Amino acid sequence: MGAVSTAPVEIERPEAEEVVRQDTPWVTVVWNDPVNLMSYVTFVFMTHFGYAKPKAEKLMMDVHHKGRAVVSSGSREEMERDVEAMHGYGLWATLQKSGD
Amino acid sequence: MSATFHTVEVELLRSLVGQLLELVQDAQPSAPDADDPLAAALALGDDPDRPTDPVLLRLFPDAYADEEQAAEFRRYTERGLREAKSGAAAVVLASLATPEPGRKGAPDKLQVRLDGEQATAWLRTLTDLRLALGTRLGVEEGDEGYWDSLDDDDPRAYVHHVYEWLGFVQETLVRALSAGLR
Repeated sequence: MGAVSTAPVEIERPEAEEVVRQDTPWVTVVWNDPVNLMSYVTFVFMTHFGYAKPKAEKLMMDVHHKGRAVVSSGSREEMERDVEAMHGYGLWATLQKSGD
Repeated sequence: MSATFHTVEVELLRSLVGQLLELVQDAQPSAPDADDPLAAALALGDDPDRPTDPVLLRLFPDAYADEEQAAEFRRYTERGLREAKSGAAAVVLASLATPEPGRKGAPDKLQVRLDGEQATAWLRTLTDLRLALGTRLGVEEGDEGYWDSLDDDDPRAYVHHVYEWLGFVQETLVRALSAGLR
């Protein structure tokens, strides 16, 4: 992701929260891209998913450093809606079966 | 909220957003017959093909690794996504249509006022513009040095400068909007 930011961002690191639940067979994956701003990706995770800032920032950093992160899980229909919303925001997202 | 721009910047934004609007509308899968209101209402057009232009493919990416599933997803979503993106771009253009004069003593400055809905449209449109320019330029992570090394008269240097400026505008806007979030 591109960073226009001035100072290094301080990230609170809560205990890793398991986003995937056993009863939710599909996941939405957001992939890293060199264009989107870190602050914007965090903003999207907070506004679309309603995640608190620490969780949204952790997911954003996972996308940034690991290249991808599972950002939500649920039914296939729910994940298609999430992916469509992410594309609307300009984030690069895909869905897949959990564990694939 | 309000943002102050130089008149030249307002012109640049109008031009860029106008081009984006054409881009996301243009390749619209063969528009249904305009004379047939029913066909138009039901959007009985051809299915959208997978874009070959890397910019369009970045704006409307594959949702599945599997080709067939990706095509089906595209069939159900791409038209709506194009409408949403062109709608946001239209909102931005409208907000740029009636800028207020800047403060006294700054005749070359214009003020743009945005409500919450307009600010969201700006965020989305600035993202789409940066995705389009960044993809066209081939921007990569950590390549700032390369762009800095280009000659000033290299047209790509200018485009990259605009790309960076759009990022600055977006960062400012995200910060303003994030201030209200917890």
